[in-house]
Amino acid sequence: MNGPDSPFFWGAFACYLAGTVLASAYAGLRRPLLRRSVFALTAAGFVLNTVALVVRSSASGHLPVTNLYEYLTFFAWAIVAGFLLLWRREGLSLLTVFAAPVAFAMMVVASLFPARVEQQLMPALQSYWLTIHVTLAVLGEAAFAVAFVAAVLYLIAGGRAGAGRSVGSAVGVAPAGGADGAGTRERGLGDPATYDEITYKAIGVGFPLFTIGALFAGAVWAQRAWGTPWSWDPKETSSLVVWLVYAIYLHARLVRGWRGRGASVLSIVGFALTFVTILGSRILGGLHSYG
Amino acid sequence: MVGEAVLAVAFAVAGAVALAIPLVRERLSSMKTGVALLALVLALSVVGVVIGQNLPPSAYVERFGKVGAAVITGSGLASVFRSWYFLFAVWALTLSVISCSFRRILRLARGRGPKLAALGSLVTHLSLVVVLVGGVLTATVGFRRADSHYLRAGDTTEVPEGGFALRVDEARTEFADSGMISEYVSVVTVIEDGRESAPRRIEVNHPLTVNGVGVYQYEMLPSPDSVEAVLLGVILVSPDEGGEPFELEVPYREQTAIPGTDLTVKALEFYSDFTYDIETGTAGLASIWHDNPAVLVQVSASGEALFERWLFAGMKGHGDDTGLPCRLFFLDYGPDFQNGLTRFEYSRQPGTPVLFAGLAALSIGLCAVFWTRIGRREHT
Repeated sequence: MNGPDSPFFWGAFACYLAGTVLASAYAGLRRPLLRRSVFALTAAGFVLNTVALVVRSSASGHLPVTNLYEYLTFFAWAIVAGFLLLWRREGLSLLTVFAAPVAFAMMVVASLFPARVEQQLMPALQSYWLTIHVTLAVLGEAAFAVAFVAAVLYLIAGGRAGAGRSVGSAVGVAPAGGADGAGTRERGLGDPATYDEITYKAIGVGFPLFTIGALFAGAVWAQRAWGTPWSWDPKETSSLVVWLVYAIYLHARLVRGWRGRGASVLSIVGFALTFVTILGSRILGGLHSYG
Repeated sequence: MVGEAVLAVAFAVAGAVALAIPLVRERLSSMKTGVALLALVLALSVVGVVIGQNLPPSAYVERFGKVGAAVITGSGLASVFRSWYFLFAVWALTLSVISCSFRRILRLARGRGPKLAALGSLVTHLSLVVVLVGGVLTATVGFRRADSHYLRAGDTTEVPEGGFALRVDEARTEFADSGMISEYVSVVTVIEDGRESAPRRIEVNHPLTVNGVGVYQYEMLPSPDSVEAVLLGVILVSPDEGGEPFELEVPYREQTAIPGTDLTVKALEFYSDFTYDIETGTAGLASIWHDNPAVLVQVSASGEALFERWLFAGMKGHGDDTGLPCRLFFLDYGPDFQNGLTRFEYSRQPGTPVLFAGLAALSIGLCAVFWTRIGRREHT
C-alpha cells in the first residue's frame, strides 16, 4: 500500500471498522449513546475518506476512479454520503448505522488492490467522459447500496408487507403477506413499510443516475474511444443486467405497487449483481480491464 | 448486411401486423408480459456474460467439457446476442413497450394521473424504442472493422466504404516524464480523388472522421527493424583476462567507444524477429513481433572495421575466433517508438445519433418519473 492518501485511507478504514463494531452493539442493545458514537465514527471516517480522495486527486491530477482501489474507495465515500443524508430521518435509526459496515466492507475489498498513484493515465482513459461516466455510475450504485441495506432490514424486521398491496403473483413472484409493522417496531427493528419505501426511493434515485452514467455516458465515450457505443463487452452486458433487474423492480412497483419480500429480494439481487459488475472486469476481462 | 436489413424489415412488418390485432396488443401491453420479457432478456444476458461470447470452440471445451461445449455452440449461446431467440425477445419487448406507450398516450390525453410523471413515463417507454431503432440501424447499414495491416510511415491504405485513402506520415508512441505511455499518435494525410489534405492527427479518444467513416487508433507497436539503443554486455579478455563484465549502452547506428580498449562498436541493423534466408544469404524479419531479437554489431579500430556479427538477445555472444580483446553480448534494447507500426479501426455507425437521442430522452424521462416522486410519500 502506498500513495500520499494512505494515512487518510487507513484512518477512514479504522473509523469504519470501529463504527462497524459499535453498530453491531447498537443492533443488539439499542443504546442512544452507541448510535451517537457510530455517527461520530462514521462522520469521522467520511471526513478522512474525503481527504483521502482529495489528496489522491491532487497527487494524480485526475479523479481517483481509474482502478479498483480508487473506485471502491470512492464507492465507500458515496455510500456513506447516501446514508448520512438519511441520518436524521425518523424511524431509520437502525438503517443508518449500517453505513459503517457497508463502507468498511468496500474499504476491505479496496485494500486488496494495488494503490500506486498513476499520474499518467493510459491513453484510453484520457477523456473527460471518464469523470462523467464513472462519477454518475458510482452515485447510482451507492443509492443501490442504500436500497440493499433497507431491503435486508425489511426482511430481518419480518416485513411481509407494508401498507401497500401485494402483486407478487402478478409478476410470478411469491406474494407478500399481510401488514405487520407494529410487532417489529416494538422489537426495535423499525417499520418494514419504511424500509420498503426507502428501498424504492433509493432505487428511484439511483436508477436514473445509473442510466445516465453507466449506460448513456458510457455509450458516448465508447463511441469516441472504440468506434461503437455498444459492443456486448462483459462489463457492458453485466451493467445492462443490473439495469434490467432494477427496471423490473421499478416497473412492477410503479404499475402495480409491488412490494414485500419479493421486491426486497430483487433489490438484494440487484445490488449483488452491481457488485459483481464492479469487479466484473477482473473476473470476466474485456475492454474495461484497466486495473 | 443485406440479410440483416431483410430481417429488420421482416421484424418491423410482423410487429405492425401483431400490433394491429387488438387481443395481441392487449396481451403485449400487460405488465405481466412486459416483466416476463424483461426477465427473458435479462436471463439471456446473464447466460451470455457467464459463458463468454464468441470464444474459440476449444475455450468452451476447456470450460464446460465436450458435451457442454457442443450444447453451447449448437444452441447459439456462444453468440447469444445475435441468436434468433434473443432478437425475438428484444423484438417482442419492443412491441410490448410500443403497445404500452399507446395506452399511456390515451391516458395522458384523458388527463389522468400526475402530468409530469405520466409524461416522463411515456418519454421513457418511447425512448427505449428509439434506442432499439438506433441499434438496428447500425446493425443493418453500419460497419466496424479493424485494418488487417500494420502501417508505418510512408504506407498508404484504402479505407473501406470511405472512398478515400490514408497515408501514414508518422506513427509514434509518446511518453510522459515518468516513463509511462501518454499517447499513441498517428499523423496521416487523407487522399481523396488525388487531392491530399493537411496532416491530421489520430489518437485514442480522438478519431478522425471523413465521409461519415471514423478512423480509430486501434493498435501501435514499436518498430520491428530499428531500435533506439542496444545494451551490450562486455567482457575484456585482454590484457587482463577474466575482467569483470560491464554493460555498455550503444545508441543505434552511432560509433560508441568500448571502455578499456581502443575499439568502437556500432549497432548496424536490428530485427525484432530474426530470420535468415539461406538461398539469398540475407537476414530479415520473420514477423513484426519481438520473438527473436537480434542486432548486427560492427567493431572497429581507428575507423577500420575489424568484425561484424549478429548477436541474439539472451544468448551467448560471439565465439572466441574474432581475435578481439573483448567479448560482446546482446543483453537488451530500447525499442524505437518514434518509427512504429500503427493499425486503424474503421467504423460507420449511422444509428448512433438516433441511439444517443433515445438514451438522452430515456435519461430525461426517468428523472421526470422518479425524481418528481421522491419527495412525496407514497399513497397506496
